[in-house]
Amino acid sequence: MIATSHPGLVNGLRSIVGVDRVLSAHSDLLVYECDGFVIEKNCPDVVVFPDSAEDVSQIVKLCNDVGVPFLPRGAGTSLAGGCLPVGGGVMIVLTRMKEIVELNIRDRYAIVQPGVVNVWLTQALKGSGFHYAPDPSSQGACTIGGNVATNSGGPHTLKYGVTVNHVLGVEAVLADGRIVQIGGPSEDPVGLDLVGTIVGSEGTLAIVTKVWVRLTPNPQGYRTMLGIFESVEDATNSITDIIGAGIIPAALEMLDQGILVALEEAFKFGFPLDAEAILLIEVDGLEAGLDQQRDQIVELCNKCNAREVRQAATEAERQKLWKARKQAFGAIGRLSPSYCTQDGVVPRTQLPFMLKRIKEIAEKYDLKVVNVFHAGDGNLHPILLFDERDKSQVERVLSASGEILQQCLDLGGSVTGEHGIGVEKVAFMEKMFTQDDLAAMTRLRIAFNPENQLSPDKMLPTAGACGMESKHIEQKHPGRRAAM
Amino acid sequence: MSTTQSLTITETYQPTNQDELVETVRSCCDSNTPMYPLGGQTSLHYGMASKVEGVGLSTAELNKVIDFPARDMTVTVEAGITMSKLAETLAAERLRLPVDVPQSDVATLGGVVATNFNGPRRYGAGTVRDYVIGISAIDGTGTPFKGGGRVVKNVAGYDFCKLLTGSLGTLGVISQLTLKLNPIPSSFRILSCQPNSLDNAETLLADLVRSTVTPSAVELVTGSHWSTLLSGDADDLHLLVALEGTELETDWMAQQLSQQWRESGIRFIQDLTGDEAKSAWSELVEFPASESPLVVKASVRPSGVTKFIEAVQNTKCSCNIQAHAGNGVVIVSFDEFPAVGLSRMLLGAVQPAALALQGSLVVLSNPSGGEMTHQAAWGGNDIPFELMTSIKQQFDPNNLFNPGRYVYV
Repeated sequence: MIATSHPGLVNGLRSIVGVDRVLSAHSDLLVYECDGFVIEKNCPDVVVFPDSAEDVSQIVKLCNDVGVPFLPRGAGTSLAGGCLPVGGGVMIVLTRMKEIVELNIRDRYAIVQPGVVNVWLTQALKGSGFHYAPDPSSQGACTIGGNVATNSGGPHTLKYGVTVNHVLGVEAVLADGRIVQIGGPSEDPVGLDLVGTIVGSEGTLAIVTKVWVRLTPNPQGYRTMLGIFESVEDATNSITDIIGAGIIPAALEMLDQGILVALEEAFKFGFPLDAEAILLIEVDGLEAGLDQQRDQIVELCNKCNAREVRQAATEAERQKLWKARKQAFGAIGRLSPSYCTQDGVVPRTQLPFMLKRIKEIAEKYDLKVVNVFHAGDGNLHPILLFDERDKSQVERVLSASGEILQQCLDLGGSVTGEHGIGVEKVAFMEKMFTQDDLAAMTRLRIAFNPENQLSPDKMLPTAGACGMESKHIEQKHPGRRAAM
Repeated sequence: MSTTQSLTITETYQPTNQDELVETVRSCCDSNTPMYPLGGQTSLHYGMASKVEGVGLSTAELNKVIDFPARDMTVTVEAGITMSKLAETLAAERLRLPVDVPQSDVATLGGVVATNFNGPRRYGAGTVRDYVIGISAIDGTGTPFKGGGRVVKNVAGYDFCKLLTGSLGTLGVISQLTLKLNPIPSSFRILSCQPNSLDNAETLLADLVRSTVTPSAVELVTGSHWSTLLSGDADDLHLLVALEGTELETDWMAQQLSQQWRESGIRFIQDLTGDEAKSAWSELVEFPASESPLVVKASVRPSGVTKFIEAVQNTKCSCNIQAHAGNGVVIVSFDEFPAVGLSRMLLGAVQPAALALQGSLVVLSNPSGGEMTHQAAWGGNDIPFELMTSIKQQFDPNNLFNPGRYVYV
């Protein structure tokens, strides 16, 4: 235990943030042993709750003096183990830094502290005519600091982009404790794009203590549709046809039969249970253009043999359709005791083939797989259903997950569209990138984090460069290859 | 247009394929020869003057389209493809990269990414960094590396697409790029008016932010260059708003915006469509490349654009100004080299104005190459230059790419 081997550490932390903001009793630490990726667990030695960038800076300096690793954490909703303290150490939990510092509509930005929950910002902007565009499904719980770390997406990325497209600047504490401001309320900061480099670095390059985010004007109107299809192939063909026609929907989500059955049992939305797939399609923008886009979409879906295209006539009906999408994961509990979600991406036109392959792989391993995902950008979330008490099932889930992700790569895709690498998918990095690519990534990490004390053993496989030797070279646990 | 004469280049290599490029970089690394990556050579005056002799590394013959799966709305190309060739290729499938640069028949995609050059459309469509989803480069040890991939959504690994965009070829020579693309809207028009003062311009700009109209570009221009083109006196301000979408959408926006402006007391509104709109647009795109002994770019909070313009006008230097006003980016093209000395004028008057508006000021072009300090070229508040230098050392340990020309300390 670091706390015992470094007796000064806990006291030092207490003197920085106060006695009640340091946890070191094992029972208190258990909450922090994992994030949304529950397969790998390891308790931090100490958890500390700073109030300010200065606190974080002092904590980081103390950790460096003592020689213990440290890492940041937001709400812990990461699905890839991004905030797993692999080698223990000090966990810096940023949830008390939760102030919305400034809302500036004229200059279209907001300044928030990292612990601000994503949806709080949207709520604070109500009535202003503006919103913060990235809206991951966990937006009621996840923090903007965490969104910055993982470059979060969500259902609206197809039209509006991901977190990095909406971050103007950050204040960050570097691995040596220095506080820097990069970017800010103005665009085009001088020199290298350090903002773009830090966003999505999963907390391995710096600890973000303040964020300048771009605000987006609310669309004037929406048209929300539900396309019901006899076959998955017809549904995916509609997707490519809609986008091929030059329409960029605000959201284009697909739910397959398996998930529809669960949703129907749970919430009675009135979906037909014999349809193989439904598409939730939403266009937004100027009222002047929406009816035309809607008519075009209905026509394209019909051309692809849609059985029916329903339209939300009122805001209440629209909310109901979205509720179905957003509660899909919650309904899975009805299908099986445990599930595993993957995050692979394929070029959009490969979706029909990829979905067929997922079905084949599921059959091969005798598993049930259901799909609900961001179809518009080719980002799949196949959900593998199983019972974690059955070892054979667990093993089959892991093998099937690996095969699904490998298939994504074979089709020119990626193993993660929005959840991140974390510890979960480290083993896949060598399949996506060459040793030279990984060495370049390691060099970037060394530039920011030369002692490798900031969130070690994440994102990159055992690094070859000096100063980067991993304490955990062997990936013994199968969980590192598949999410649960 | 600038040429290689502005760089200290003894000879220029022009590899014809990716392997040759790697070989060329390797042999330069072996002999410790500085390298100056060259695209279309339209922005060589950006950055500090080169002082060390080296070789030019031209990507002119690396201009192939590698993969264009139009239905996926992505394209993979070699870095030396010109912007116009790229646009032509994409337009055949009614797609585009919505980034506008001057001299697009010469400017290369690699150069645009390396300099992070963005035109008026950045207001509606974002900047080039938002479109690069995959990138390959060769670093200062002759090792090829890549980041990103070929799919539009991807968070695997560090984002080299961002790191290399705007790196001025100092971390490596960019060899290949994958872009995500947008459909070309069917309708385009420009509305313009003449605000009667900078205060009036700010009122109109602030109104636009809260308006239901969603422009593609919001441009505020002034100076003799513009008065010749747009009629009026040299001191006149012109506000130009570009509208894109379907015909129904642009018609509605034009009507809405006209009404908004008339309610604000604007009496004369020009509504440009067809060739008229195209020609005005081309002026807005080409302006930064027009002949000038000194071009600077300020980035300030959008509400500070008119204040910054006022500060520039107070220097009494004769100049032409183009502001991508919706984004807070102001380009100032001076008619003559400032008599008081370049660095002194910039540091004494113009840069402090940008910094006071929480912004920055960089020199885009200084063809004389003389008398410019680091502080004058790269002006901002507390920029972490040391951190950038640490990154440079990791990717180019012997400082062979564009030595002395960028922000490193």
